[in-house]
Amino acid sequence: MKKLYSVVATAGLALAISGCTTNTVSTPSFETLDEKQLCNVKSNGIENVLATAAKYNKIAKEHGVEFKRLGMTNTQYIDETNKSIKAGSDKVVLLDKKGKATKNSVSVEYATQRACKFAVSALILEAEGKKTWRTAVPGDGFKY
Amino acid sequence: MLLNIVKSTALVALASCILNAGEFNAQAEKDRIALIEYTVAKFKDAEKNRDNFFPYSTDDELKNNIKKDIKVEEFAMGNYAFSIQGQFSYNEIKDMPPYEELVEQGEELYNDNKAIQACFPDTTIAGDYPYFDQKRNEVISLTGAINECLVNAGQEKWNEKKGKMPILQAYFAAQSTEAEKKVNITIPTAEAAAAYERGKEYYYTQRGYLKLSCATCHVQGAGKRVRNESLSQFLGQTTHFPVYRLKWGKDKVANGLGTLERRMEGCIKDQGQVPPKTNSKQMKELLYFMAYMSNGMNVDGPDVRK
Repeated sequence: MKKLYSVVATAGLALAISGCTTNTVSTPSFETLDEKQLCNVKSNGIENVLATAAKYNKIAKEHGVEFKRLGMTNTQYIDETNKSIKAGSDKVVLLDKKGKATKNSVSVEYATQRACKFAVSALILEAEGKKTWRTAVPGDGFKY
Repeated sequence: MLLNIVKSTALVALASCILNAGEFNAQAEKDRIALIEYTVAKFKDAEKNRDNFFPYSTDDELKNNIKKDIKVEEFAMGNYAFSIQGQFSYNEIKDMPPYEELVEQGEELYNDNKAIQACFPDTTIAGDYPYFDQKRNEVISLTGAINECLVNAGQEKWNEKKGKMPILQAYFAAQSTEAEKKVNITIPTAEAAAAYERGKEYYYTQRGYLKLSCATCHVQGAGKRVRNESLSQFLGQTTHFPVYRLKWGKDKVANGLGTLERRMEGCIKDQGQVPPKTNSKQMKELLYFMAYMSNGMNVDGPDVRK
């Protein structure tokens, strides 16, 4: 009987520890991401930075916090940058809100860095927002 | 012994449920009253309260364009409640509002559609949406309810932002206004309170590349100026939907009318973020929270905005 108790207790302890460990691993703190370092094209190279952009933008989309600017989502920004690189172009043509090409363009380097910044910042902002949103609520954290 | 424990536990649980039944909206009521107090204090005397609320506004703006001592009910007019110049233009447009013919079209849509008549026998329901469906455990928006009704009757869904949807809603809003209905949002369960809280968090969370929350402009920013526009206050923000926006209707009058979902989608894009889908859980819970904040105010839609 004593043996049975010790087996159950050990298994319980192991489960509890593994549960804690798993939780820690599966919920990375995006708040501590270093956007400047991650999105530095000069030190990391365009392809790596674009891969970082794609990685974090995918999470941002899943969380419903993807950035969008002037009618162009960050996904479109990443896709258009990838297309330009494959085509050997040094320019990324910007799209309008209907997804059609505009007359405006930016350099591949700039587009890559911005796509990465948008992807990482969206997650940092989301993590910060969970801690700060109450400071804007009258009757709660907002004092006037 | 065991039976006694089970019985007493069940009794305590039941009593606790009964005691809490009327309190699911306790936090929401605190929030609503705090918002009213803040809004009233802010617009009590803008010139006198400059340091607290309007540190960057000019003397001329505060003295000549922001009304004093605004009554709570007046806040349903959006920024026209406080903007003296804005109210002048608003009153001129209201003499012959561009949505009038669209309300008539909404009445025709209603009379011509048996399914809609069966789903909505009472046409004065604009102030009762969104509501929390206790069986389904989810927020039901008016837009969602109309489309569900159409689909159940074997008809095609309508566009959730413009066209027939806001036109029918304009008829409901006009009927509700005429019947002097008030916004009447309830929070009947703990799940409803949780949905309300998620909507609240969404409203107050900074988002997008501009790092703005809805509240940045419409709570802390209400009454301040962005270029030539005075930002409207949150209180009363949902009472008058659907709205006819001059911007939306510049090419085609019928496109001028939009649902609250259309307006919110635009606002979230302006914050620099991809907005949630118009019939998503996130959007419906956001509207649920927003509508609750206008509880008790008169339904006064449809209305006109820039």
